[in-house]
Order: sequence, then C-alpha cells, then structure tokens
Amino acid sequence: MKQPKDKKDKKKKEKKVSLKRTWQNNLFALREIGKASPFYLIVYLSSTVIYGLLEFFTGAYLLRKIVNSVEVGEELSGIVMYVAVLMAVTVVSYLVLNWFWHVISPKMQQKIAMQIQKELFAKASEVELGCYENPAFYDKYVRAMDEASYRVSQVLDTLDTLLSHIITTSANSFLLFFIDPWLMVFACIPLFLGFIKKKESKISHDWSVARKSTERRVWYVQRTFYLSDYAKEMRIGGMYRLMLRDLRESYRVFRDLTNKYGLKVTLLSTLRHFGLDVLTVFGATLYAVWSTMYLGPANGGMSVGDCVVVIGSISTVSYSLNYIVDTLTQFHEHALFLEDVRYFLDYQPTIVGGERIASEDGGELRVEHVSFRYDGAEKDTLEDISFTLKKGERLALVGSNGSGKTTLVKLLLRLYDPKEGEILLNGVNIKEMTLDSYRDRFGTVFQDFKLFSLSVRENVLLREPREGDEELVIRALKESGAYERVMRLPKGLDTVLTREFDDEGANLSVGEQQKLSLARVFAENTPFVILDEPSSALDPIAEYTMFENMMRATEGRSVIFISHRLSSAVLADRVILMDEGKIAEIGTHEELLARGGKYAEMFSRQAENYLGSEVTDNE
Amino acid sequence: MSKETKQPKQPIATIIGNNLFMLGRIAKYAPAYFFASLFWGMLHGVRSSMTAIYTFYLLNAIGEGGDFPYVLKLTLLVMAFFTIVWFYDSWYSKAYSSLLQKKLHLKMHEELFVKARSLDIAYFDDPEFYNDFVWAMNESDRRAIYVMNTVRGFCYQIVSFSTSFALILTVKPMAAIIVLVSSIFSVICSFMSNKVNFAHRKEANPLWRKHGYLNRVYHLPDYAKEIRVSHANDLLLKEYDETADKKISLAVKYGKKYFLCWGVGWEVFAEITRFLIIFYMMGLLAAGEIAIGGFVASITLVLQMRGTLSNLLGNFARYAEHSLYIEKYREFLRTEPTIRGEITEIPEFETLEFRNVSFSYEFSSHAKYRFRDKPSEEKISEALKDVNLTIRAGDKIAIVGYNGAGKTTLIKLMMRLYDPTEGEILYNGVNIRNYDPDAYRQKIGTVFQDFKIFAATVAENVVNGEYVEERDRERVLASLEKADFSEKLATLPDGILTHLTREFNDAGVNLSGGESQKVAIARVFAQDTPMMIMDEPSSALDPMAEYHLNQSILHHTEDKTVVFISHRLSTTRIADRIYMFDTGRVVEVGSHEELLAKDGKYAEMFRLQSEKYRTEEQTLS
Repeated sequence: MKQPKDKKDKKKKEKKVSLKRTWQNNLFALREIGKASPFYLIVYLSSTVIYGLLEFFTGAYLLRKIVNSVEVGEELSGIVMYVAVLMAVTVVSYLVLNWFWHVISPKMQQKIAMQIQKELFAKASEVELGCYENPAFYDKYVRAMDEASYRVSQVLDTLDTLLSHIITTSANSFLLFFIDPWLMVFACIPLFLGFIKKKESKISHDWSVARKSTERRVWYVQRTFYLSDYAKEMRIGGMYRLMLRDLRESYRVFRDLTNKYGLKVTLLSTLRHFGLDVLTVFGATLYAVWSTMYLGPANGGMSVGDCVVVIGSISTVSYSLNYIVDTLTQFHEHALFLEDVRYFLDYQPTIVGGERIASEDGGELRVEHVSFRYDGAEKDTLEDISFTLKKGERLALVGSNGSGKTTLVKLLLRLYDPKEGEILLNGVNIKEMTLDSYRDRFGTVFQDFKLFSLSVRENVLLREPREGDEELVIRALKESGAYERVMRLPKGLDTVLTREFDDEGANLSVGEQQKLSLARVFAENTPFVILDEPSSALDPIAEYTMFENMMRATEGRSVIFISHRLSSAVLADRVILMDEGKIAEIGTHEELLARGGKYAEMFSRQAENYLGSEVTDNE
Repeated sequence: MSKETKQPKQPIATIIGNNLFMLGRIAKYAPAYFFASLFWGMLHGVRSSMTAIYTFYLLNAIGEGGDFPYVLKLTLLVMAFFTIVWFYDSWYSKAYSSLLQKKLHLKMHEELFVKARSLDIAYFDDPEFYNDFVWAMNESDRRAIYVMNTVRGFCYQIVSFSTSFALILTVKPMAAIIVLVSSIFSVICSFMSNKVNFAHRKEANPLWRKHGYLNRVYHLPDYAKEIRVSHANDLLLKEYDETADKKISLAVKYGKKYFLCWGVGWEVFAEITRFLIIFYMMGLLAAGEIAIGGFVASITLVLQMRGTLSNLLGNFARYAEHSLYIEKYREFLRTEPTIRGEITEIPEFETLEFRNVSFSYEFSSHAKYRFRDKPSEEKISEALKDVNLTIRAGDKIAIVGYNGAGKTTLIKLMMRLYDPTEGEILYNGVNIRNYDPDAYRQKIGTVFQDFKIFAATVAENVVNGEYVEERDRERVLASLEKADFSEKLATLPDGILTHLTREFNDAGVNLSGGESQKVAIARVFAQDTPMMIMDEPSSALDPMAEYHLNQSILHHTEDKTVVFISHRLSTTRIADRIYMFDTGRVVEVGSHEELLAKDGKYAEMFRLQSEKYRTEEQTLS
C-alpha cells in the first residue's frame, strides 16, 4: 500500500508549475504559432479587438446615445444618420471578420498543428529506446503527443478570450465609471468571489481524484465485455458475475463520495452564484434606479439613459470579470500540459552517432566484455558477454525465456548502449559511427515485428520506392515464401496492408505477415542479418522451408538468429547458449553436444519428445 | 465510426419513437435523474421569464417615474427567488446529477453486458455488428444524457420563450413578427451550415484516421524498434505531409461554403436585423407610440427572444441526431441469441460425438445478422468439412494439423460457441442444441489458446468468479499445484490473494506469458470437470518448462477425458487416439504407432519435425 501513496505525492509535486514557468510555457506555445506564421497571431488578436469594440459600440453605448439624445430633445434625423453609418461599418467589418474566421483561420490552425506534430515525430524517432521503458518518461511522452497541437491552439484561444473579456470589461467599466464611480463597488464583487471559486474547485478536484480508481475499474469491466478477446472466457466461466458485482459496488462508492463532498460543493457554488448573479446585478440595478428616481439628473443622479445602460452593462461586467479570473487558471492548466511537451522536445537523446561511416560490406563484429542493465532493474540482464561474429558466419543464439537473447540483439543494433564493455565493427567502437550508417548495415526481423499501413512494396523496401525496385521486391517475396499470397491480392504489390484506410486493403494472417517481414531482410542486401524467432508463428512445415530458404538466400552474409527450437540451431556455424545473461556455452553444434553440458541436455530433452526411447537406446 | 457518416432519412415517427424510448429507459433506470432534470429546466425557464418581466417592468417604471419602495420590495422578492434557484442549480449540477448519471450509466451497461454475453460469438466476428456493438457500449449512456439535456433545455426554452412572446405582443405585434421571421431564417442558415460541417467531417474523416494512425505509430513502443532500424520514418512523414495538405485544402474548400452559409447568411444578417429592429423602435419612439423605458425594454426583449427562439428551433434538429444513435442502441438490444436450449440439467459425461459436421464462419455470421446479403458461393470457405469423431469417457484425444486446419474451430463447436452449419453434435446421444448453453459449458473445462487473465486476484482467476476463503482455498492451491505453478506462487507477496496485472493495483503482479498460461490451466483443474480441453497449452513455454508442465498435466488427468490440440507433435505420443486435420477434414485417425505405420500425412509431419534431431543423434551414435 505504500507505493500508490508515493505515486500520488509525486503527481502532486508534478502538478506545480511556478508562475514564471507558466508564463514561459504559454509563451512557448505562442512562439510555435509564430513559427508557422508570424502574421497570423497578430491578425487573429486584432480581429478579436475589432469584434469586442463593435459589440460595445452597437450595444449598450448605442442605446445610451439614442435615449440621451431623445431626452435632451435632439432632432431624430441626426441620430438616424449615426445609426446608419454604424450599421454600414458593422456589416462590412463582419464580412471581413467572418472570412478570416471561417476560411483563413482553419487553414492556419492546421498548419500550426502540423508544425508542432512534425517536431514531435522527429524527436520521437530520435530518442533512445530506453525512454519507452521508463514509465514516467513514457507517460509524459504520450501526453505530449496527444495534447501538443490541441494545447497550442488552446493557448491562442484562451488568450483570445482573455483579450475579448478585457475589452468588454474595460469599455463597459469605463462607461459605468463615467456614469457614477460608486458603481465600481458592485462591479468588483466578482473579484472577491475568486476565493470561493478556488476552494470550490479544490474540493471538486479532490472529489474527482477520489473517484478515479473506481472509474478505472468500471472501464475495465466494460472492456472485458466488449473486447472480442474476452468473449470466449466470458461465456464459459462465472467470471462475468464477478465483473457485474464490481459494477454494482462501484455505484456504492460513487454514492458515498457524493455524500462526502456533494453538500460542501453545493453550498460554495450557491454562495458564488449569490454573489455574482444576485448581489452584484440586483445591487447595482437598485442603486441605479434609486439614483434616477430619487435624485434625478438635476441633483447629480443618473439620467434615464444612464440607468438603462447600468441595468444592461452591470451583468456584462460582472460576468466578464469572472471569466478573466477563469482564464488565468486556464493558462496555468495549459502550462502543465505544455511542460510535458517542452520536456520532451528539449530532451537530449543519450544514444547519438559519431562521425565515421560504417563500412559498406560489414566485416567482423566483436563484442567485448559487455554488460547491460535496464534502468531500474535489480540485476544485470547481460553480464560480461564476449564473442566475435566473423564475416559470413551464421550464429544461433539459444537459451530459455529471459536469458537475454533479445537484449543482446538490441545492443548489437545500438538501440541501447552497453553499461560496460564495447562493441566493435572491424576494430572500431560502434559509437564512433553515425547511427544511420551503422544501422543500415543490418537487416532485422524482430520477434514482435510490425507492418505498416502502407503498400506491400513499401513495407518490403521500407523506403521510398525507386525505379527498378520491382524485381528486387519480387525476388525478396519469392525467397520469403510470400510471393504467391501477395500476387493473389487485388492490387498485387500495390495492395495496402490492413483495411483501415483502404477498402481494397488486405488483412494478412500472422504467418503471412511474418513472411512479409522476412522479405525485408532479403530485399536489402545488408552485410548483417538478425532474425529474432522468425518462425514462431509458422507451423513445422512452413518453418522447415523458411529455414532452408533463409540459409540459401543469405549466402555470404553474417547471420545471427534466435530460436528456442533447437532443431534449427543445427543449421548454424556456431551456437551460443545463453543462461541468465551470461554465455553458458559456445561452439559448433557438434562440439556442444560432445561436451554433454546444458545444451546437450536441452537438445536431447527436445529430441526425446520426437524420438522417444531411441535416444535413450543410443546413449 | 464509418456509419455515422451516412445520413439516412428518418421518418418523424421514428425520431419521436426513438427519443421516447430513450426517455423511457432513463425514467426506468434513474427516475430521480429524469425528474430532477425536468425540474431544473422548468425552474430556469421561470427564472428567465421573471428576469424578462422584471426588467420590462423596471424600465417602464423608470421612464414613467415609479414608486421606489415598491421597486425595492419587488427586487428583494426576486432576489430571494433567485437565491433558491441557484441553490437548486448548484445542488443539481455540481453534486447530484453526476451521481444519478453514474447510476444510469451502470444500469444501462449492466443491461448491455448481460445482453452481450448472451449473444453468439458469431456476431462478434461480423465487423459491422461489432462496430455497432462497441459503439453502443461506449456511446449509449452518454447519448442518454444528451437526450436528457436536450429535453431539459427544451423545457427551459419553451417557458422562457412563451413569456417573452406574450410580453412583446402587449407592446407591438409587429415586433414579434420580425423576430419570428429572422429566427426562421437563422434556423435555415444553421441547418445549411450543419450540412456543410457534416460533409466536411465526412470527407476529412479518413484523413483524421490516417493522422491518428501515424500518431500511434510514433507513440506506441511496438513500432519504436522498427522505426529506428529502418527508413520507414521518411515514408511515414511523406504520408503525413500528403494527408495534411489534403486536410488544408478541405478546410479551405468547406471554409468558403461555411462562410457563405453561416458568416454571411447568419452572422451578418443577424447584425442587419438587429439594426432593423432598432430603426423600427426608433420610429415608434418618434411617433410617440412608446416611451423611452418601453423602447429600451422592447429592444432588450426582442434581442433576447431571438436568441431563445433560434435555440428552440435548433433543438428540434438535435432530436433527429439523437434518433440516429438511439436506433443503433435499440437494434443491439433487439438482437437475439440463436444459440439457445431448454434442458438445464446436464447428465454426467459419457460420450461426445460429431456426426457429419461442417462449419463456415462466413455463413454463420452473415446468416444471423440482419439477413444481410449472403456471401457469394466462392467466398464461403468451410473451416470444418464433414467431420466425424467420437470421444468416450476417459479417452485422451489429440487433435493435430497445420495452421488453419480447423483445430481451434472444432473446440469452439464442442463448447457450443458456434452451432454447426451442417450435421450434429451429440452429447450422451442427445443433440447439444437441446441443452442450455450456459449449463452445458459448465460440464467442459477449456483452456483457449488466447486465454485471458483478469485483473483480479490469483484465487479469483483460478475459481473464475467470486472466491470464498473457506470454500475454495484447498481447491485453488491444489489446482495451481497441478498446473505446475507452485514455484512461482511461493514468490508472490500475498500468495493466492495477490492481484494480477497492475491495472488497478500498483502492488499487482504481471505474469509472463508462460506463467499466465499455467494460471489458465489451473482454472480448468479447479473446475474439476470430467472433460478437459486444452488448446496448445504449452505454446508460450520454453522446451524445459513445456516438458515439466506436460508431465504434470498427464499425471493429474489420469481418470479424466482430455482433448488437447497441438501443432507440436511431441505431446501426441501419449494420446489414445490422434485425429489429424487437414483443411477442415479429418484425414487420419489412430494411435501414434498406427499412424506412423500408415506412413501418411501425420507420419510426414512428424518426420519433418523430428528430422533435425534424428540425423544429429544418429551421426553422434
């Protein structure tokens, strides 16, 4: 139970952003907008100012002018001219403003979103893989990706709202002040209500925090019912009753929480509305009516026109002031989210390339006393690993689950850097080479390979297709055994994978997908090939042909492959048996069998299943 | 939701029917919410009317020099009423309605859950049905709240509007007509601009989805390695740019239309009518037909009324929108399971027989849902074809074959998750269609290949339901032991009460694939059914662990009937009978030795798998 508490404290700490930082973060958002288009920002804000002024002059101000001039007994034709001119100005301004809001602005908003999104993508493909495994960092990262473009446009939006309220408030206050300075007392009541508001939102916040875990529970129950993965289990067992029980219990929790927090929030909220909607508005109204009726313009009181304006504007002022307080807290909220965005964009990746270009035809890869530990792990995943992969050699990595095979592969690809020791390509530390040139020397199929929602051709090449790639792709597909299947697809090589974006797209089975990802290795003639359990989704026959093809097609290239079916290790020049992060045994298949160690034991155990008594007989 | 983008024409009766249906559901599941919301609408309507009458009276009174003490008394009364209104408003909107909405949410979901569980899995295979279903799950309660809000708003607007309208009629009927005409115009504009927005959304929807996908690629760890070791990055960025360009040109194209419908048609027109009303009132003022107070009061009232009226008319359009959504929800509730049966008392297992059973997924899902166009003949691929097999109590049966041979489908039919397209399955000689599916499934313990571990304690996962200490403890421990999980269990902090997954519990434990599989197997042992089905029980294990687990399973199922599926042939040697499947048919039957002697497909498959081991062993010896 200790852990969650710590986490909460941490979150609270994170939630605080200093005033200075709030300012900087919001400024950052404006700079991003400025980067996409400096004029847009200025024009956008000016449009708000114009709109605010028009509202004022065609509203309370106009009414006052008409009423006053009638009271004084002016000629009506003069005021009619005035209204007509105002009308013409308003209509023209509205045409221009609307064009800007509905045509220019949406376009610019898209551009801004694009700008920031691409900055994030660029960063995302640059940070080291370890970042994905650090939950705190990854949380920030996901939030940054999700929120960035929305938040940036929100900053502009909030700034815009603030500006329009400032204009409304100041124009109306100016008018009120001009009519009677005492009215300012009423207009200022909303400012004092800020305290109540703060208290109210604190309780609401606590309340929603208290609800969170139960809400998550409800979400989970919901998922178990609607995800088809769970459909079978839900039908054959009694688990669904447990889930429904959770659901009913959650309501009890919600009810108790409402009893705990509900009344407080209600009272505070009532008090706030009383101040804002009752005291301010009716107070000022009464004062104005009193001033007009008892004093009258002759004794320094208000004229009828003034009184009318007060009744009309006082609620406008009080609402606008209230909103101004709100927008300030909104800037703070934006700053919280932008903090993540900035943290992410400012993050400096620790895996950076050097200056040298890795040799085009590969060479000898040497691993020297390499140890590695994942961040936050209690022990090393790899411990003092040393071996050499000679040019053109085939190496099998075997060992039980969790023995460090896949981690070793990640180090070889420089997705991580070793904590100790070094990896050398032709005697040069791989850290001295540029990341691109080094990784380009490898063709890799990961255990959890991914295909993209692009065409088959692009998925195999994983780069922009060029003239003459056709044959390359076809050959690669033939070698991986996917050619026939691809040719049966409606658009052949140009078929887009998954139906997500293309109705003529293709959904391939896992085995077919794996073949396609193998084709990638065949398409690029890289000096090194890494295959991480390339046959896990294949049935025995398919596995057999796959290995045969692979060995033929990668003639002359250095190959490292991982498998936990030892039958395939036989195909390798040498075998490395990993055990708990160390190299337990290394040598040719025959050598290891002859040695009678762990490898021999595993091999005979697996063979026993197939050969049964024969094995024991032979021994 | 692809279906949202279609905009079918609905008859008015359907719209009313659907909205009434939803209101009925709300009133049934959360009556307090229903009435509290209606009351909220009325109360605010009265508040708004009172403001209008009060202002109207006040402005007239100022103009004509009224009685201040009377104004004071009146104002204090209005203030007192407003305070009560805001108290109710605060209580309703800040505290109570959220709880009532939760109640509605939970009740509606419970209904949906029970419904979903009762439906055949075949429905879930139909992507269109599945989309609708997920939608109903996610959206229905939110939509219920929208409907309630719309109705609530309607109450408010109708009360508020009728008061203002009555007031303005007392001043000048002509003004009321201007308001009506301009409001109708506003509704036409808003209708047209909604259409523009709708068309925009529809056309831009694929682009949004595409961007969503690209976003996912960059932020899911699954793709991180791929992006780093290849040049996919360039390709993806190119896609992004192309999509963004299309989005921008769409924004401009529809922006112009929107500008015409809404910007010019409504916003500019609204300004013009505002001035027209001012001119008209000025005319009345000049003619001495109204006083200064009346002049200001009328203008204020007219402008306010125009707003209320266009909201009120806009309200009707919302019911049509709601109706589209409710229709889908109702359709889901109307769907009936086809897998049913009467007999709930299931006798003890003696035999299970497949007689000429054929099955096709396409046919099964299409035939059941909405009688949609049947798939053309060549598209129907049969997952099982003319299968005959018999299992007797105590048999150990192995089902083998390549990927896609129909092994898992066979299990699904055995469990009656699907009914065969042709032929029949007999349990103790009785067609299983006669049995209640829930009761029938209790008789067979199954571990699926894609089993699921729930975010609950180990014990609850094993019992597959509620865990009662004194009743279940022994059973759970024994089952975990049988599933070879004891070693791991000893390392768990709270033993069998340890929470699995970190979903809700930071102290929860995430099991590895192999360990999860063992818990799933323990689940079957805990059920203690005479018949057990294991679909690739050791696929997530490395060879050593697989060996241990198989030993353990065999040891503890001596007196039971076991059906296991495997594409590794190593485990099949101990089976009494092996059924070799190929493209949905049983091609060979017999014991391991018989099939090897027969030298058919099974023998070939076995040879291929063992070849490497064999040659190596031979060279060594």
